[in-house]
Parts: sequence; structure tokens; C-alpha cells
Amino acid sequence: MSVTSSGRLPLVVSLDDPEPMYRQIEHQVRRLILGGQLSPGTALPSVRALASDLACSVITTRRAYQELESGGFIRTRQGMGTVVAELSEGARDAFRREPVEQAIREAVREGIDAGMTGAELREVFEKAIVGERGHEEVSGD
Amino acid sequence: MTDVMLGLKGVTKTYPGFRLGPVDLDIERGYIVAVVGPNGSGKSTLFRLLMGLTHPDAGQIRRFGAATGDDIAIASRIGYVPERAIGHDQMSALDLGTFYAHWYPAFDRERYDAAIDAMGIEWGKAFGKLSKGMQRRVSYTLAMATDPELLLLDELTDGVDPFARREMTTDIAGFMETGERTVVFATHNMDEVRRLADYVVLLVNGRFLGMYEKDALVHGWRRAWLERQPDSETPGVVSVSAGEPVEVVSSLWGETARSLAAQGIVIERTAPVDLTEILERVMNGAEGADGERPWPVAGETRSVRMP
Repeated sequence: MSVTSSGRLPLVVSLDDPEPMYRQIEHQVRRLILGGQLSPGTALPSVRALASDLACSVITTRRAYQELESGGFIRTRQGMGTVVAELSEGARDAFRREPVEQAIREAVREGIDAGMTGAELREVFEKAIVGERGHEEVSGD
Repeated sequence: MTDVMLGLKGVTKTYPGFRLGPVDLDIERGYIVAVVGPNGSGKSTLFRLLMGLTHPDAGQIRRFGAATGDDIAIASRIGYVPERAIGHDQMSALDLGTFYAHWYPAFDRERYDAAIDAMGIEWGKAFGKLSKGMQRRVSYTLAMATDPELLLLDELTDGVDPFARREMTTDIAGFMETGERTVVFATHNMDEVRRLADYVVLLVNGRFLGMYEKDALVHGWRRAWLERQPDSETPGVVSVSAGEPVEVVSSLWGETARSLAAQGIVIERTAPVDLTEILERVMNGAEGADGERPWPVAGETRSVRMP
């Protein structure tokens, strides 16, 4: 399913989240772009429209857009508004893998701290994949 | 280059038994600024000063970058909805439309007519005989139909039903879409501040207690429950309630949290602080000598600036 500019972006900012609001927006929009819900060329709401939807200020939404733009996720052209940028397959892949790799690195570090061997870690990893398959198909094998 | 729509420098206005100011602030193009404070704080006086209907006793007001006084050309670029529309009572919606069309070159008669029809207002009925909420809506429609660059809204939604109120909020966001216009509004409704404002100006008994970037203000404050009493020098802490666990309120949560970590104090739970409570605490904190607060507040600024 894709998201169009005519609707609201499915974003939720929360004051319970210790992350500043602009970071929350930045991360969620990035996830929508990487997940393909926002495809290249899709027009994004203006900073004011987004601020109004999220009940935050344009200072916050502008900052989120600036971060996304410097990350290459969106483009803003004078008078044309803001659109989702074309991401190279390599970039998309790297962004998709990055948080997963980081989570696995952290898990491995925990395992090492707990005194596990490489064989044991591999076994836990394999078991986790099999376990997750019960809820959701892991593709590619 | 900065684009200051409203610049106030040391502005004061005194009436018998009341003094507003000194007010120092710059409001730039493209922002929505909420003016909040208890009744009798000087909000309407501030709006009359901004509109050029009254002049400061001291200090300077620059509108659209110019310091000239009650220039008609300047007034025609401002959409003003006063708290009470003086002189409108005997006029009907039809009279008001004709009057505005005569005085405001940019007045969009079609848009005004369509809006009055949509509200179901009788064209011949005197303004003074309309309900308060309807009067507010007519005044708003008149102001918007002049296609202003600057909107000054004094208690716009007072007496307006929640549906029309919400419609106005959406309409104002749409008005601000291009980033070329500016809105200053006074309200008692915190939900409107939350939904609309970029900055909040706080006035209490004529005293200007600062302009705050709304999100930084709201995000900076936090209530937390701790396993034990923090050091009395802990930065940002504005109140500590004894008990189990210890409840603290911080106006600079980032710094407070860092200090608590250094003190080795476990934070059991935190929660955001409601905007009304934040503003109340800022007001009360300033009640001491010389209006100086004993603690700093996140998001305080004297000038609305592009980041």
C-alpha cells in the first residue's frame, strides 16, 4: 500500500518518547520511505500542514525535513514543494540492513558477555529464525 | 536577512491602574504566535498597539519593517479581529460587506458572501443581534476576505462552538501554508495553542514573561519519580515533593537527567508536563522579586528566528 500526499502521513509523535519530536518525525518518515510506503516522487505535506496534523510547530517539522533532505531521502524545490527522492538500490539496502546489523551486533556482544561460544551463538541465531518463521515468513531461503 | 513582521522594543503603555510592558520581541514572517495570560494581562492592549489603534508611551513598534504610525496602507495589510467589534452592532452582514469592499482594495466579496451564506446568517440581521459566536465568525470572515499578510486575532474563538472552532483552526493552518503570512492570536484555550502555535508569548498583569518556542518548552519540561531525593543543586529541578518515590518537576529535563545519572539516582518513571501547568509554573516562578525566575526554561527566546 502506498501513501499519497492527499492523505495524512501515518506519523505519531509522542511526548512520552524521550527523542525530540523532530527526530521522531525524521525516523518515521525514513521508515516509510525505506519500507516503500512512500515511493520516489510522492509529494509530502508542507511544513505547516504537517505541523498542523501533528500539533507541533513548523520549527520542528522544518528541522525534520532538513535532516531528511541532508540524508538524501527527500528533495525540496523552490515553489515545487517537497517530494520523496529517488534512492539507489544500494543506498536503500544499506539503510535497510543497518539497524538489523546493529541489533545483531548488540545481541552478539551480550552473548559474548554471557560467555557463549561462536557455535552457541550460531545455534541461538538459527533458532531465532526458525522461531520467527512461525509468525512471519522469512523469505530468501 | 531577517524578515521581521512585528518588532517591539521597550514598548510600554500605561493606563490608570495598569501598565503593560516593557515588551521586547521580534516576530518573523511565517510563524504563528499565541499570546496567553490571565484576564487583565494586557493582551488586548498589546493587540491595539500592534494594530496602531493606540500608541506606546515609550519604546518603538515596527510593523512590516517600518516604524511609521497609523498609516492606512499598513492597516490594510492587517486582518484584525478585535475582542469587541466597535461600531458593527447596527450594521448587517450586507452592510459590513459593502463597507469592507469600499475600504479594503483586496476585499474578496465573493468569498465573503459565500462564507456568510454557508454560515446561514440572514443578510439583513444586525451584527449586534447575532450570537457571540456568530459575531466572532463574521469578524473573522471579514478579516480573512481582505487577504491580509498579518492576522491579529484577539480571543477569536470565544463563544464559538467546537465544530466551527476546529474549522477555524484548520483554516488558519491553510492560510499559513505558503509561509509568507503571519498570525498572532490571543486565547484562553490551551488546545488551540497546542494545535496552532509555533511560539508562545506569556503576559501576566501587564508583565511580559518572555516568548517561548512551543515544542522546546513542552519537550524541556518533565515530571519524574525518583528512588531518592536528588542533590539540591540538580540543574533544571523546579520542585521536589517528598514521598515514596520522590516526585520532581524539571524545566530542563536533558540536564536534569544527566545530573541524576551522575548522582547514581534511578529514575522510576517520567511523564510529560501539561502545557497549562508549564505556563502556570512559569507565571508563578516569576512572581518573586523583579520578576526574575530562579530557574531557566527551555525554549525561551526574544526573537522568532529561522533556524
